Amino acid sequence: MVVITCLSNVATQVGVGRILGGSKFHYPVGQPELPPEEELRWRVGLVEKGLCALETPVNEPKVF
Amino acid sequence: MKVLHYLNQFFAQIGGEEKAGHEVLFIPRPVGVGGVIENTLKDHDVEYATVACGDNYFHEEEEKALSAIRAALEQFQPDFFIAGPAFNAGRYGLACAKVCSWVRDNWRIPAITGMHEDNPGSKEIGRHVFVIQTGASAASMQESLRRFSLLIERLLVGDDTAIENFRAEHCLPIPRRFTVRSGAPDYVRAADLLLAKIQGLRYESEIPQVETKQHPIPNLTGNLKDATVALVTEGGLVPKGNPDRLESSRGSRYFKYTIEGREDFRQGEFEAMHTGYDTSTVDKDPDRIVPLDAMRVLEKGKRFKKLHDHYFVTTGTGAMPSKMEEIGAGIAEELAGSGVGAVILTAT
Repeated sequence: MVVITCLSNVATQVGVGRILGGSKFHYPVGQPELPPEEELRWRVGLVEKGLCALETPVNEPKVF
Repeated sequence: MKVLHYLNQFFAQIGGEEKAGHEVLFIPRPVGVGGVIENTLKDHDVEYATVACGDNYFHEEEEKALSAIRAALEQFQPDFFIAGPAFNAGRYGLACAKVCSWVRDNWRIPAITGMHEDNPGSKEIGRHVFVIQTGASAASMQESLRRFSLLIERLLVGDDTAIENFRAEHCLPIPRRFTVRSGAPDYVRAADLLLAKIQGLRYESEIPQVETKQHPIPNLTGNLKDATVALVTEGGLVPKGNPDRLESSRGSRYFKYTIEGREDFRQGEFEAMHTGYDTSTVDKDPDRIVPLDAMRVLEKGKRFKKLHDHYFVTTGTGAMPSKMEEIGAGIAEELAGSGVGAVILTAT
């Protein structure tokens, strides 16, 4: 599992293995200031980073 | 002094499981274990009555049961209310917990019950109810009944220290909040804590930290190309209108909703139920909390095998960590049972 959040310190404290920094607290996988196509491209990039994190073995909380 | 004692159908000697649907019955005398407690209190000029109710009846007809218990309270006017002990009997323990909490809140007399710490009733205790710790079975009956009597005697004397000592020694540690007056206002205490920390002195937070349990971190087994990936969120995203009434805070449940055949979330079809963040940006495009559109792009690109047909959702604000643990375990079990190999969880 990878958790996408802006509160990576909280995720670390509770022992989440893979943590990926999100965009904003109230929309971790959004960039509303971008035009829709660019926002989607940005989101695909972020989720791709999440998939890379999933492929990385970890044994303690790691912020990607 | 008057004591009213709540018993289930079994301990009230009405019958076994076949009588679990028995309605509330007021009996103007002690029954069974009540007789033992009455006997130990005989020096106190005690008047003792019993209110009995079937284990199933209480849970199936809670309102009717409580209203019949109210009638018994009005008729008998007790000074003390006791229930059980329920040991590790779940239905009985829950009924004891709910009845005692209700009596304490509505009737303002001391309410005492007894159960084992694993009894689910111990999680449903309201404020100020005494919950005497018992063993898991009726083998600890004699000792438990002795403690009921001892507590009633201490409450009669009204010595707060003795009562608190009893609570510390014999009652289940049920977390409660009390209002206490402190020696200094909060900003002074906060500054004192900070100064102590800077000076390397010993300091102690006024808020107990929730202990987080260590748990194993699973790694991907096999190749992501062959894995089904699921989306999970604590961001409260539900179909418009919130058909299952997901709580917007203090969540106690989770739901899964289908995304089979859906390419992205559109405004007006889904919305976020969550008092912990400003949901307006997510409501305009719910992909900003559950990245469905991006996952579809990567699924088409064969980055992974398949996006799971449901996403899972709860509300992670103002909630009890223990409840969240339950919810997490429930979601994990369902995902593992559906052959999901990896999860992306978004959190606010």
